[in-house]
Amino acid sequence: MKITLKINNQVYTTHIDADESLLDTLRKLGFKSVKKGCDTGTCGVCTVLKNGKPVLSCQILAARAEGHDITTVEGLGEKADEIVDAIVSEGADQCGYCGPSLVVTTYAMKQELKDPTIEKINQYLSGNLCRCSGYEGQLRGIKKYMGVK
Amino acid sequence: MRFEKLVKPGDLELAGQILKDDPYSVILGGYTFLRISDKKYSTAIDLSDLSLDYIKDNKTQIEIGSYTTLREIETSSTINRYWGNLLPRSLENLVGIQFRNNATIGGAICCRLGFSEIITALLVLDCELVFKEIGTVSLLDYISNRNIKHDILKKIILQKREGKSSYQAMRNSSTDLPILSVAVSDFDKISIAVGARPAIAGLSEKASRLINSDRSKIAETAELIAEEFNFGNDLRSSSEYRKKIASVLVKHALTEVLS
Ligand SMILES: Cc1cc2nc3c(=O)[nH]c(=O)nc-3n(C[C@H](O)[C@H](O)[C@H](O)COP(=O)(O)OP(=O)(O)OC[C@H]3O[C@@H](n4cnc5c(N)ncnc54)[C@H](O)[C@@H]3O)c2cc1C
Ligand code: FES
Ligand code: FES
Repeated sequence: MKITLKINNQVYTTHIDADESLLDTLRKLGFKSVKKGCDTGTCGVCTVLKNGKPVLSCQILAARAEGHDITTVEGLGEKADEIVDAIVSEGADQCGYCGPSLVVTTYAMKQELKDPTIEKINQYLSGNLCRCSGYEGQLRGIKKYMGVK
Repeated sequence: MRFEKLVKPGDLELAGQILKDDPYSVILGGYTFLRISDKKYSTAIDLSDLSLDYIKDNKTQIEIGSYTTLREIETSSTINRYWGNLLPRSLENLVGIQFRNNATIGGAICCRLGFSEIITALLVLDCELVFKEIGTVSLLDYISNRNIKHDILKKIILQKREGKSSYQAMRNSSTDLPILSVAVSDFDKISIAVGARPAIAGLSEKASRLINSDRSKIAETAELIAEEFNFGNDLRSSSEYRKKIASVLVKHALTEVLS
């Protein structure tokens, strides 16, 4: 079937299978920052924003993404750089596989949490798994970005 | 799960007709659980155009549309005002925010999963389900009777209650499935539900009777819970471990509610 998606404020028209996931469609369209980890809704590396809210693109049907604003890390531009700098300044990233999804979720968290605390940050990021870093460095950087001591 | 065709009916009648006419059709909630099933269907019915995404505050009841996401429920100020914050607490460790932004209350209930945390919590509230064809069914009847006709869940209705409640769950690691879940409410009487045994949540009768007859008998009630329910083995836990954990969690929950 033919669908039209709005990704990072640009319109893409493409052909998909009815049961194709948004994750597969995004990767086919070249958005390789969106990673395919578990493909079952567990790891968080496929996170994108749907109308500003973080969702798992492996669990969204591409056909159901029509009419919604989809944002990947590529679409965050300088806003992503700020988060990346905060994480890198703590020497946190290792392989980097979880990085784009962590940046996207952190960006959404900044918009959503009115009164961030360490507990709320940990809770918000609990769906973003990292297999290398042990989280400590990443969280130090993200706390800095969120303005939490 | 695989399917051939996706349809997005514009009204509930049409959605019901498609479900009736095509025995190989499936209703889509947030698609989080269906995604990992290996079943094949001909038609997937998308409910997103049916205006079933709402939380309504009526005089004595709260109504939640079946297409409302778990995250909307968790963060709703209306929901947070009642039942001692029980529903948000039962949801906050369910995978992650991204997952809960997509999973719907309709899907969470209609899956009738043994480890379902929201079902454990809803059991100690006064919860009714309203379906398109079969009308109103209590949550307890729905989860106890697998023969209830497959139908579209329109909304759930909760009687407004203020009072204390507690939600407790045990996981082997955070965001994993719970190996046991317990909900306790104390509105006009104490209700206790135990889920993820790994069988679907059940409402206690014997142990609840004991604690309602004498509110100081927390330890005895917690012991009785282990006898009242059956506990099973699976990959995550043995039945013996679940039995012990059930007593501990019920003790914690009752202590919190009765303090
Ligand atoms: C990786 C993973 C981890 C999980 N961890 C937990 C956990 O820790 N705790 C927990 O409690 N749960 C957990 N779950 C289960 C989770 O709660 C369910 O996947 C989710 O609630 C299903 O909601 P959904 O809207 O995505 O339903 P879907 O997957 O879309 O549908 C599920 C079922 O409900 C039916 N359905 C959906 N909407 C309706 C409706 N309106 N009327 C009639 N039938 C309908 C569908 O046909 C299908 O049979 C986990 C699931 C996964 C995949
Ligand atoms: S790839 Fe989507 S959650 Fe793991
Ligand atoms: S840095 Fe390797 S998965 Fe996170």
